[in-house]
Amino acid sequence: MMDVGRHPKIKTLVNSEVEEVSGFVGNFRARIRRNPRYVVAEDCTACDECARVCPVAVPDEYQQGFSSRKAIYLPFPQAVPSAYILDMENCLGSEPIACGRCAEVCEKKCIDFDDQGEVLEVPVGSIVVATGMKVYDPRMNDEYGYTRFDNVITSMEFERLICAGGPSAGHLVRPTDRRTPKRIGFVQCVGSRSATRGVPYCSNICCMNTVKQTLQIHEHYQDASTTVFYMDIRAFGKGFEDLYRRSRDNGTRYVRGLPGNVEEDPETRDLVVTVENTTTGKLEQHRLDMLVLAVGLEPHKGNGKKTVDEILNLSHTSDGFVLEAHPKLKPVDAPTRGIFFAGCVEAPKDVKDSVTQASAAAARALNLLGAGKVQVEAITAMLDTEQCIMCGVCTRVCPVNAITASNKKQKQFPSIIEAACAGCGTCAAECPTDTIAMRHFSDAQILAQVEAILAEDRMSKILTFACNWCSYAGGDMAGTSRLQYPPSVRLIRTMCSGRVDEKFIWHAFRLGAPLVLVSGCHFSDCHYIDAVTWTQKRVEKVWSRMEKLGIRPGRLQLEWISAAEGQKFARVMRELHEHLHRVTPAEVEETIRILEKQPPVPGRSKTAVAAATA
Amino acid sequence: MAEMKRFECLRCDHRYMAEYDRKVTVERTCPSCGSNSVKLESKKPAKKPAGNTNTASAKG
Ligand SMILES: [Zn+2]
Repeated sequence: MMDVGRHPKIKTLVNSEVEEVSGFVGNFRARIRRNPRYVVAEDCTACDECARVCPVAVPDEYQQGFSSRKAIYLPFPQAVPSAYILDMENCLGSEPIACGRCAEVCEKKCIDFDDQGEVLEVPVGSIVVATGMKVYDPRMNDEYGYTRFDNVITSMEFERLICAGGPSAGHLVRPTDRRTPKRIGFVQCVGSRSATRGVPYCSNICCMNTVKQTLQIHEHYQDASTTVFYMDIRAFGKGFEDLYRRSRDNGTRYVRGLPGNVEEDPETRDLVVTVENTTTGKLEQHRLDMLVLAVGLEPHKGNGKKTVDEILNLSHTSDGFVLEAHPKLKPVDAPTRGIFFAGCVEAPKDVKDSVTQASAAAARALNLLGAGKVQVEAITAMLDTEQCIMCGVCTRVCPVNAITASNKKQKQFPSIIEAACAGCGTCAAECPTDTIAMRHFSDAQILAQVEAILAEDRMSKILTFACNWCSYAGGDMAGTSRLQYPPSVRLIRTMCSGRVDEKFIWHAFRLGAPLVLVSGCHFSDCHYIDAVTWTQKRVEKVWSRMEKLGIRPGRLQLEWISAAEGQKFARVMRELHEHLHRVTPAEVEETIRILEKQPPVPGRSKTAVAAATA
Repeated sequence: MAEMKRFECLRCDHRYMAEYDRKVTVERTCPSCGSNSVKLESKKPAKKPAGNTNTASAKG
């Protein structure tokens, strides 16, 4: 951190919030609000004179509330810049100045009660998101008596207590009597791996953190006894199994089972923990001086009004962590080009993994800037202004803001920023006049695939549109998992389900497709942020039109299948194979007859387009 | 504003009530079969669907 602070090419903006980011890869503009510090950081020598005279004491957040700090304070010893900050919420007041003692004693005269902060506009080429994590709050469910018993603490609090720079200078004391605890218990998976309390995923670091903490205890206090209550220990990293073995060899007892009850002895303030040891099948009672809850991790999305997801238009998985462009091939890239991830904002991870990912993200960002040019995959959209009616639909639906807005009054057509275009094809599918074409996955290519599939034996085929990232990959997963599904499925791959134009669906029905399936990513997994919502709206529109025309809507099916859902892919295909038998040749012939009288996209005649955009 | 509307599953024909907000597009899943082919039930189909009369009857 010190190195970063001193680096001539790194500008650090602390106590600041990114409010808005516009632009695209290589040409982002970030609006950053620097909050007032009330201390001129460049002049402050961190002499501590101001804090000594400050009459206000509040709990110190850095020390997890185990000690206090003043209203003017150094956030933590290694803070960069090494300068004090005034916490105006707790200061006695600056308008009018109610106390002002800090300003009186500051020799450098760096207290500035009039600091208003500032708003900066910064041009940047690429962005690394590293907003980190927060820990599960055990107060919400009063986990293991956390809100009632002072000697039940979290692993974060324990970390401060055992740290040499902590409130007790590294001497482990228990909160109620400042006595060194001799019997210490740890409860694993607090707020993790639970469908009902906290989060369903494994927080990744808690097991090894507990192993480390038991080793620290035995290093400092040979007579201490430690017990870990766990479901299973996940010691999967390099050298981790060795650490776990050392912890056991040092005398830490690992009890397989999570406590069912925690009570406090009102006299001694000791904790009585009841647990079913699932290895022996026996109920055990443990008398402990202190109980440490290994709390899980959650993504942290910033402190400002908007979350980082909203500011950067990022998609996230169902657990709230940001979604990478590809889990294997682009694990540190956001779907939006020029944005990268580092650390726990992407998934819970330890220091080593965070550093690895941060190095990768820095290298990816540097690569991009060093090249000076951006190589674009030839899957982007193209716009033919001759047919454009400036309806604004393309700009509205583009998930990565790659299409500039049109202006009818100024006869200004929309334009596609190719460097920003991710190639999802939603604009091309939504454009009512077919003004937008795709460089690949073009209308002609997709329509030709539809025709080829339905050229022979059409009644035995399920025409399936599958998006590249999720449902197509789900089909791959089904295949590699050796899951059986009927051969009637015929896949047409698109980058995003948002590319599936109404006219592809109608063309298929016109050619006698008995059953069409549109499949894509779950809403939370969409690699093009919210493009999948346009897929759903479009399919709903086609259903409604089918109904009006007297075509059974059930012949158009919709399914969200993730890359990991090979089983779902196979199940859906088996179900649809059954469904296929419900469609009779007469029904298909009738559909063809109905559609003969309709324009390529029923309901979208030239007059309808004009009416819709008027 | 969300209101309760009737939905029909185009996979298993199950019909059920769920919250609906015209302004918000949400992922829908049939509570009976788990399919995502869930359609807002229209008040009146304009025409009787052609051909097939062999569909399963509504369950819900
Ligand atoms: Zn269903």
